[in-house]
Amino acid sequence: MQEKEHILSILKEAKKAAKSENVFVLKSLSNQTIHAASIYEDNDNIMIAVLIYSLGKLIERKRNFNNTDFQEILDYYLKIIDDSIFFITKKDIDSFSSNLKTLIQKTNTLSKHLKESLQDMFKKAQINKASKVYEHGISIEKTANLLGISIWEIVEYTGQSSIHDQNLTKTMDIKKRIKTAIEIFS
Amino acid sequence: MPKKEMLNKAIVFDAGIMITFSMNCILDILRDLKKSFNGKFIITRNVEEECVKRPLTIKKYKLGALKIKELVDANILEFPESLGISIKDIETETLEVLRESNSIFRTDHRSIHIIDEGEASVLALNYLLKKKGIDSVIAIDERTMRMLCENPSNLQKLFEEKFDTKVIMNKINSPFFKDVKVIRSSELIFVAYKKGLIKDKEILDAMLYGAKFKGSSISFDEIKELESLV
Repeated sequence: MQEKEHILSILKEAKKAAKSENVFVLKSLSNQTIHAASIYEDNDNIMIAVLIYSLGKLIERKRNFNNTDFQEILDYYLKIIDDSIFFITKKDIDSFSSNLKTLIQKTNTLSKHLKESLQDMFKKAQINKASKVYEHGISIEKTANLLGISIWEIVEYTGQSSIHDQNLTKTMDIKKRIKTAIEIFS
Repeated sequence: MPKKEMLNKAIVFDAGIMITFSMNCILDILRDLKKSFNGKFIITRNVEEECVKRPLTIKKYKLGALKIKELVDANILEFPESLGISIKDIETETLEVLRESNSIFRTDHRSIHIIDEGEASVLALNYLLKKKGIDSVIAIDERTMRMLCENPSNLQKLFEEKFDTKVIMNKINSPFFKDVKVIRSSELIFVAYKKGLIKDKEILDAMLYGAKFKGSSISFDEIKELESLV
């Protein structure tokens, strides 16, 4: 795991932002971990980014839940954050990683009807974070593998972003590329 | 004589481009293009894994994967073995492509791992085909591989901009990334139009934008320019 102190401070800030329901801060914190995740291929950083982004989405969609359900899911997120802070502080990175993975993937302690909502939020957050990693210049397959999702899930999302309209991504005059295509078929 | 010509050309498809065609329900264009192509459309086993085998296990993408599988079953898409290139050769060269490509860019004394096996296998196969004297073009919709082959300096600038840190680029001497001819789904669609396989300009327009919105790395400006060439 890279930049432990940085992750610790992000988790603490995320907890504060969640309690004050500050979605903007949560999304910004989530993006901060993506730089390290892209460079170091760090799955822990990626999971933290997914966790915090989906927490922001939960708060954004608060009105879709009744108060009890919302509080149950929020408490679940806060427990993951508290556990993570605990393990990182104790420098027990293995337990931090496995605990985080289990809580994100299994959601066993949640009420049955909320599991699906949470899994859906995690999945959407994974795809969103994948598009961020891809935006950083990492290839689509590498990104899919880092996030543990399929290329099929990423292409739909990136296709609707402005990633491919950035000037740097243009590498050849289109007439020249067309010429290559016509020549191979001639 | 025709048989010899048949072996002298190949288009190597990446997974992304197959996904773009499948998601837009325009795989028939590949069938039609193949009829007028004096060569082979090839995918590696790694690419098959990404665009057929793995999505077959995901309900949302199963139909799309089955449609691509139909092209494999009909020999529209073939494997490198059909050109005398063994799985082992590809595996060996793929590892070499991965080793080289993932040590080109460095930050903080660490290399940036930019591509993975399926993508690397496309470059490996392209290299092996050229070594055999086969004129090969790679068809990819993915941006990073294209930038790596055509303008790695732009990729370095992109990394520096996004990571907000200095990125060092090692000199690229490898034959894997040299003189690689790249086309995207947009160019294949354009050729199909030129060959009369797409009858209507409106359909061409719809297909080009459809490809972009399903992940093809083409800009709005490039689509406009491409349409002005019709």
